[in-house]
Amino acid sequence: MIISQSSGVPIYQQIADSFRTDILEGRLKEGEYLPSIRGLAKELKISVITTMKAYELLEAEGMVTAEQGKGYSVNAQDKEMLKEQHLRKVEDGLLQAIASARIAGMSEKELVETLQMLLSLKEN
Amino acid sequence: MEFKSCIHGENIVKKYKNFELNIPSVDIPRGFATALIGENGAGKSTLLDILAGIRLDYKGNLRFFDKFNDRDRETNPEVKNRIGYEGTGNYYLPSWTIRQGRDIQSLLFDSFDEAKYRDICKKLDVPDDDNKKIAELSDGNNMKLKLAGVFARKTDVLLLDEPASPLDPLMRDKLCEMIREYLLLDEGNKSVLFSTHNIADMEAVTDYAIIVENGTVVESGFTEELKEKYIIVKGEKKDEEAAAKVLYTISSNNYGFEGMALSENISGLSGLDVVTETPTLSQICVAVMKHNSKLYTGSIL
Repeated sequence: MIISQSSGVPIYQQIADSFRTDILEGRLKEGEYLPSIRGLAKELKISVITTMKAYELLEAEGMVTAEQGKGYSVNAQDKEMLKEQHLRKVEDGLLQAIASARIAGMSEKELVETLQMLLSLKEN
Repeated sequence: MEFKSCIHGENIVKKYKNFELNIPSVDIPRGFATALIGENGAGKSTLLDILAGIRLDYKGNLRFFDKFNDRDRETNPEVKNRIGYEGTGNYYLPSWTIRQGRDIQSLLFDSFDEAKYRDICKKLDVPDDDNKKIAELSDGNNMKLKLAGVFARKTDVLLLDEPASPLDPLMRDKLCEMIREYLLLDEGNKSVLFSTHNIADMEAVTDYAIIVENGTVVESGFTEELKEKYIIVKGEKKDEEAAAKVLYTISSNNYGFEGMALSENISGLSGLDVVTETPTLSQICVAVMKHNSKLYTGSIL
């Protein structure tokens, strides 16, 4: 795991990204445990709270489950769940777009047209 | 974020002639490293001394390990044994030799592990000469000796007063490593509280920060939470006046301004041409200290 202090990406995010990739690509399997919070903090020379925040982020995403006194174990990653996760991201993104459109005074029709235009641009 | 307290203090009051420490409530979270930050004379050492029981002439309630009060700390050796303290003063009398310092700690503390102490001293490259007088050691080596003493005991909390100050950058890094190793000894049950002026050097080991100004706690929280609570704002001269109404602290120059805002107030800056950044712990501490300080804010010379 490579942690950059100057990439602009928060360290907890970098840690979460690294474990997420490991889980999604099958290097960390269902039921396996993430390193202990303080153990990882020591290895990476970072604070305990930063590690904890990374693990809590992964837990919120449903990648891992906190088990009292045992640590964080990797959840089963079925395709449905992955799809679900991406669906949530799509919804979040669209909600943000709707909020911005409202501020900009765009009509519903204009918003839909913008999406369609972006889609067609992407396809070409 | 919720946490368990290693030490909880309430209504801690200590009056001096020209200064009063008055802390309605303070918590040292269990399982983490906490930094105690503040200006010179803000009351950091007084608070550490009160928690450690070095100073007993205070009012207030203390609770240790969720179970014991400060009377227990003084009467029940189990409690005192679980607390490690390192102060800025002459912990070892200057006239003692290194050997005498070691022997006395061995006498004073049941859990003092002499072999471990020797091992730590060796690893930290403290002069290997039992007959050397402690007064002849450099400030850095003196601190290494004090740290070896406190890390060589079986404790559950360490109270360290300015441990980084006399240390060089490499040894500061080593101190951070030692704190992380200590926290790992019993995952979630060991705690460290250290005061420091060297926030940047200690930031990578600081989980929780307590900022003390003029004898009271003005801010405290987990660093990751503080980094979300505050936000750096930079902008052009034309927006300075409007931004100043929203910002928590602001410093201006001929070309623009830079300051700290509470994230919850950031919407007050909409419409202005500003850039925002996530602050470091150092930047947050400086802003909070500046907000509460009596120091003059403009040019000094």
